Amino acid sequence: MKRIAAIVGRDIRSGIRDWLIVYLSIAPFIIALILRSLIPGVGDSLLSVVVLDQNPLVSSLEQVARVELVSDLESLEQRVLRMDDVFGIVYTRGAYELVVQGNESEHSLGMLETLMARLTNPSSSVPVDIQFSDLGWEMSPLKLYGGIMLMLFTTVFGGMFIVLNLVDEKMHKTLRALNVSPLSRVELVIGKGMLGFLLPLVGCLGAAWIMGFSGIHLGMFFVTLLSIATISIIIGFSIGVMNDEPISAVASMKMVMLPVLLSVFGAMYLADNWHWVLFWSPFYWAYLSMNGILLQQADWFLVLRNSGFILGLTVLVFMGLRKKIVNGLE
Amino acid sequence: MIEKESSRGTEKKGENMISVENLSHYYTQNQVFAVKNVSFQVEKGEIFGFLGPSGAGKSTTQGVLTGLLPLQQGRVRVAGHDLSHPKRTMFNKIGVSFEQSNVYGKLTARENLDFYAKLFDVPTMKTMDLLEMVGLDKVADKKAGTFSKGMKHRLTFVRSMINKPEMWFLDEPTTGLDPAIGSQIKDIIRQENEKGATVFLTTHNMQVADELCDRVAFIIDGEIKLIDSPRNLKLQFGQQMVVVDHLVQGQRKTEQFSLIMDEDKTRLNQLIQTGQIQMMHTKEATLEEIFIKVTGRGLE
Ligand SMILES: Nc1ncnc2c1ncn2[C@@H]1O[C@H](COP(=O)(O)OP(=O)(O)OP(=O)(O)O)[C@@H](O)[C@H]1O
Ligand SMILES: [Mg+2]
Repeated sequence: MKRIAAIVGRDIRSGIRDWLIVYLSIAPFIIALILRSLIPGVGDSLLSVVVLDQNPLVSSLEQVARVELVSDLESLEQRVLRMDDVFGIVYTRGAYELVVQGNESEHSLGMLETLMARLTNPSSSVPVDIQFSDLGWEMSPLKLYGGIMLMLFTTVFGGMFIVLNLVDEKMHKTLRALNVSPLSRVELVIGKGMLGFLLPLVGCLGAAWIMGFSGIHLGMFFVTLLSIATISIIIGFSIGVMNDEPISAVASMKMVMLPVLLSVFGAMYLADNWHWVLFWSPFYWAYLSMNGILLQQADWFLVLRNSGFILGLTVLVFMGLRKKIVNGLE
Repeated sequence: MIEKESSRGTEKKGENMISVENLSHYYTQNQVFAVKNVSFQVEKGEIFGFLGPSGAGKSTTQGVLTGLLPLQQGRVRVAGHDLSHPKRTMFNKIGVSFEQSNVYGKLTARENLDFYAKLFDVPTMKTMDLLEMVGLDKVADKKAGTFSKGMKHRLTFVRSMINKPEMWFLDEPTTGLDPAIGSQIKDIIRQENEKGATVFLTTHNMQVADELCDRVAFIIDGEIKLIDSPRNLKLQFGQQMVVVDHLVQGQRKTEQFSLIMDEDKTRLNQLIQTGQIQMMHTKEATLEEIFIKVTGRGLE
């Protein structure tokens, strides 16, 4: 335990002096921030509403919310359907109807309801009739696919961290010094794998938070991340021990990105009856889980089944590479 | 060896720190037997020199003895552990310094040692004491990546003694160091040996071996040609060297002749009869000369 901590501590210390590793660690946050700025409304705390331009309450609303005006009901609905948190307010038959999409945060909705009650009924004597019309639950494709890709790549980059770290040790022959100390092989593997495991976890959580995926099921999210992290780490170890210098290691790592991209784009664009061509790829199953989780539609059955596939494929990869990994650590 | 052995007391006598029987090692990559059927023992408390030219198989032997290379053929025991069933805990008693220095360039000298110390279960030496021993205390907080080759080598060297090893493997500890630092390193090795460390010293520097070693093994092409103390070797071969200063066309020339090699004897005879000899004396051979004589090969 003490030795594993020593290895991890050393890796951190050495890592923060290496711009590439620092960059790899903060990249998910930066990308999440960029994506967030591209997705309208994500994480916007100000209440946004869209109303028809004849609405008598426009001036009062403008004092407390961002108000957009549209000319007809159809464009109001369309505006609500865009990927951000915008509520539509329609005045019909003496009542206010709230037009919502379903993905708006409950917090904003509650706020709006209170607000509307106040605005329409300052004396509290006239009852307010609030209706909801749910126009369907949809998420911005940029947010969804950007989110999935970011999660998958962040985890794969955890493997990259291990690669760079091991290649550095091999290049400077420092592994040999570890091999003539009481540090056991298992401690070495755990110690060297630890950051490749923890960094993506932190990165994905942070990215999910930044991008506003706050309602996702954390348990399922973790289970899925853990299973992708496992395969990324094994890939990381095998590339790390097979290469003695960073250039060739990065080249091999690029080759790994290919199946990841292939699986994600395949899953996005292939017709359902063609999905079987991707069944070999653990990243395909990871994609399915992540897709469900971010949309908040996944259940434990789906997540555990997909993780099972991922781990099964991982075991196969590991069996194939075990000898190389163990020999390479010598 | 005889003198040193007696001065160190009797309790250590006969106990082997290293015992190697019929060790062979084969590299599949280039299909060479780097070590062939080698057998030797290193007694507790001894400084054992492993001498040979480049490519003789010294580092390979040390690699097997330190568990870095797999034991393929033969029986090897080190510090009471059978290397066919190596245990990680044995490294608490072992220190290994490498021919090529290997320290973390992004860590400072101090951090390198502090980190390594944490890997051991036994009490370790103080980082600053170690750095001071090899004159690295002033650069303790500089990154090792900025060090010169010699500084890295010294850092690798002191790192190997951090756990106060009973069995200390040193691969070329003084190579590439300037003479002053080289002799500092020799002093450290001697001191640690006096405190009880057994030393397995690999080198192709005969002078270092001569000064430090209780016994030396001559290894060439993966085979041990001879094992004895430098003193015995000199007694055996040393008196039989004759140095002759003579004039050749008015120029002074110095030549050495062995009294056991026939062609040397003939040549010396000729010189005595026909040459203009100025001075003639016998000389104790250096270990290097003995090596050449025994193996028929130089050390480079
Ligand atoms: N990793 C390796 N793979 C293949 N062959 C090797 C390897 N290491 C050493 N050899 C070969 O084994 C033989 C012995 O090498 P070794 O390094 O043990 O010699 P050495 O006595 O330590 O030499 P030096 O004085 O140069 O350090 C040489 O022929 C060398 O080419
Ligand atoms: Mg060598």
